Amino acid sequence: MIEFRDAVVRYPGAPAAAVDGVSLLCPAAQVTAVVGPNGSGKSTLVRVLLGRQPLASGTLHIDGTDRRQLSQRALARMVAIVPQREEPAFPMTVREYVALGRLPHSGAWRAETPGDRDAVARALTRTGVDDLHSRPTDELSGGEWQRVRVARALAQDARALVLDEPTTFLDVGHEMSLFELAAALARSGMAVLLVSHQLNLVARFADTMVLLQHGRVAAAGAPDAVMSGRVLESVYEWPLVVIRDPASGAPAVVPLRRSPA
Amino acid sequence: MSHSQSTRFAGLVTLAAALAVAGCAPREEPPRAVTDTAAPRPPVDDFRHEAPRGEARRIVSLNPATTELLVALGAAGRLVGRTSWDLYTPAVRRARDLGNGIRPNVEAVLEMRPDLVILYGSEDNVMAARRLREAGVPTLSLKLDRIGQLERAAMLVGAAVGEEDRARTVVDSVHQTLDSVRAAVAGRERPRAFWHVWDSPIITIGRGSFLHELVEIAGGENVYADIPSPSPRVELEDIARRDPAVILAGPVGARRIREEQRWRAVRAVRNGRVLVVDTNLVARPSVRLGEAAVSLARLLHPGSL
Amino acid sequence: MIAHRSWHWPAAIAVLFAVAALGIAFGTVRLGLREVIGGAAGTGDPLHVTIVQALRGPRVLLAALVGAGLAMSGASLQGVLRNGLAEPYLLGVSGGAAVGAVLAYAAGLSGYALLALAAFAGSVTAVGATVLAARAAGHGARGDPRTLLMAGVVVGAFANAAIMIALANAPGNTVRSALWWMMGSASDATWATGAALAATLAVAGGALVAGARDIDALALGDEAAAALGVDVDRAAPRIYLLASLVAAATVAAVGLVGFVGLIVPHLVRAAGIRRHRALLVAAAIVGATLVIAADTVARVALPPAELPLGAVTAILGVPFFLAQLRRFRA
Repeated sequence: MIEFRDAVVRYPGAPAAAVDGVSLLCPAAQVTAVVGPNGSGKSTLVRVLLGRQPLASGTLHIDGTDRRQLSQRALARMVAIVPQREEPAFPMTVREYVALGRLPHSGAWRAETPGDRDAVARALTRTGVDDLHSRPTDELSGGEWQRVRVARALAQDARALVLDEPTTFLDVGHEMSLFELAAALARSGMAVLLVSHQLNLVARFADTMVLLQHGRVAAAGAPDAVMSGRVLESVYEWPLVVIRDPASGAPAVVPLRRSPA
Repeated sequence: MSHSQSTRFAGLVTLAAALAVAGCAPREEPPRAVTDTAAPRPPVDDFRHEAPRGEARRIVSLNPATTELLVALGAAGRLVGRTSWDLYTPAVRRARDLGNGIRPNVEAVLEMRPDLVILYGSEDNVMAARRLREAGVPTLSLKLDRIGQLERAAMLVGAAVGEEDRARTVVDSVHQTLDSVRAAVAGRERPRAFWHVWDSPIITIGRGSFLHELVEIAGGENVYADIPSPSPRVELEDIARRDPAVILAGPVGARRIREEQRWRAVRAVRNGRVLVVDTNLVARPSVRLGEAAVSLARLLHPGSL
Repeated sequence: MIAHRSWHWPAAIAVLFAVAALGIAFGTVRLGLREVIGGAAGTGDPLHVTIVQALRGPRVLLAALVGAGLAMSGASLQGVLRNGLAEPYLLGVSGGAAVGAVLAYAAGLSGYALLALAAFAGSVTAVGATVLAARAAGHGARGDPRTLLMAGVVVGAFANAAIMIALANAPGNTVRSALWWMMGSASDATWATGAALAATLAVAGGALVAGARDIDALALGDEAAAALGVDVDRAAPRIYLLASLVAAATVAAVGLVGFVGLIVPHLVRAAGIRRHRALLVAAAIVGATLVIAADTVARVALPPAELPLGAVTAILGVPFFLAQLRRFRA
């Protein structure tokens, strides 16, 4: 659904490429997670998807079509992207905010259609924020705000969902519920691309993990394969061990101490 | 159309609209070509509008100089509107105060139902003149800044109110007085004079001012005669450098000069040669010009008159 | 949160017409309903006909258009710059226009049309300089909105210096004329200027309303806007330019009239209108009403003198900023 092939991105004036030959496939009905340390190029890939950063070389295809041939609106109808940070300058109700997700579908003069209202209602229900629909956006907690943002993305009725670091500032409960939502959406057929630094949660929920280091793919595949102590230690430059989490059965990273207690 | 095209289109329409405004807004008429010297052209005022002739009975004078003229022409009784500064006689004060003469309130003027409005001929009042004329009220716009303009102004005002003979008399009388002043001071040494108009910033008179003309007539020499503008700003040091023999100032200004430390830089101040001028008399070039010249000559050349 | 009611719209339009009628009735010469109608129809006392048709009619129209333009411009800029303190003159419009006007006066040019063209040209130049400066400083066509705001401040500072230098040694009446122009006034309104401004607003304002969807998205942030299908690098500059064009046109027509573009969008948002297409249209209606009222106050507050329009609207700034201050603390 979303496919990068040998993608290279260079920021002007930077000595090295931010993304240096990354190939990555995010197919439908799966959760594909992109992980890696800060500066490894994860968010740059999202910026390329958004069209905010051009590819120096390589290709990006959305559902078989070259990204460069898609207008911004066409992209927004196919892929719903939830960027890292967002703060509306002027508060509005949750419902109004989620309704903005219909913008890629609406013309300049069209009023809200029943189809629009349906999409908004479904998005609110799926993310479990129905009862918040008339709350002002500046009165939401961190967890509620994240879900509302995902709701707006869902209102776009796209076939792919991209989440860029969706669990920053969230507590354990909200983190889990967001990952569960991502998994549920993938099960229902969406292609879910998740950029995160939460290795353990990713290992539990993702079907495929892509580990980036300095703009290159250090490892890619099922979590069991990617979560190897040796690889992770070299990428994160920190001593760690990978255990099998007894409760979930998924591989989990345990960082070790460098300085004595 | 695409977004950037719509922006360009909007820009072009705006430019076109701006040009349309240019086409519809008031325009200064170009001076008429001199083609036939035999047929006299009707006289025009300072806005190049044809000067009204007649016997105006309800006059609004928004120019203090012309109000003075009207009083001298015996037409004060026909005044229905004046500026805030026109306070000479009870007859004048009875007329409605219509502001300071700059950008007058057209509605207030029209409310007096005048048959003649005299305006101060500065750019600020072009619009008012236009509106009054469009409403059918004759206007006469005059700037009275130089002694030489007095005769024309007096004759135009006289023609507009049916008092041309009296206007002639007034003008002649002023000229006679000025001539007698010139004669009285002829041959005497001309003291170099500095005229203090304003204090902060210091403003004096250049050769573009009628006060400069008065000083020359009264037998003095303006130290700032080399500057063309009527009211230039000047620096104290420069005044000291030009070293005038006397300083002419109004009562308030004279007191300031005598009291402020910085003015002692000028020799004339140290010598106590600060002469007080009656500012009411010299406020504008009008019927009292003769008196003004006489009073100045008495200051500069005591005993000559 | 407040949601606006559908009766708000006809009510707002009714208030606009009522205020316009009062604007025609009030003035140095007080007109009653019969005199207004007689004046408008041309059948009454010639004095009233002149007052209604030649003096107050064009003024009320021009005031309405200026208010509508400034409000739309302010609302657009607040949305696209994501800042509730943005206003129409932000990108150099006022400084540039003032320089244009002052230079025209100093050069001895005057006459309404030349002044308007000079002011407009000054505005356009200043806005161009602001955008170029921001582009040179930041990266890409959009850059950080803060870069643009900063560039606007720089251009404004330059303009202020130029004005002061030009006026320092200018003769008295030039200074007076320039100052009067800068304080804003609808006193020179004619039907022609109203028509010209109406044409500009129809086109540029119409384009803003047509693109209001993009402002909805841009108000969330550049990345969010891109995610919602907006070509940020094209849409944002387009909106800056259209909003500045509208503002420049109003300045060319009546001089500097502040606070309208800043305050009206807040009033409309407080009434519950948040989507920008409705916001821009509602702001136009409320802005028109406000400036007609301000112009009327300017005419009747201190008869027979007239207050500058910009002075009356500036007084509005006081309660507005007080309210902002209180909200800030809370």
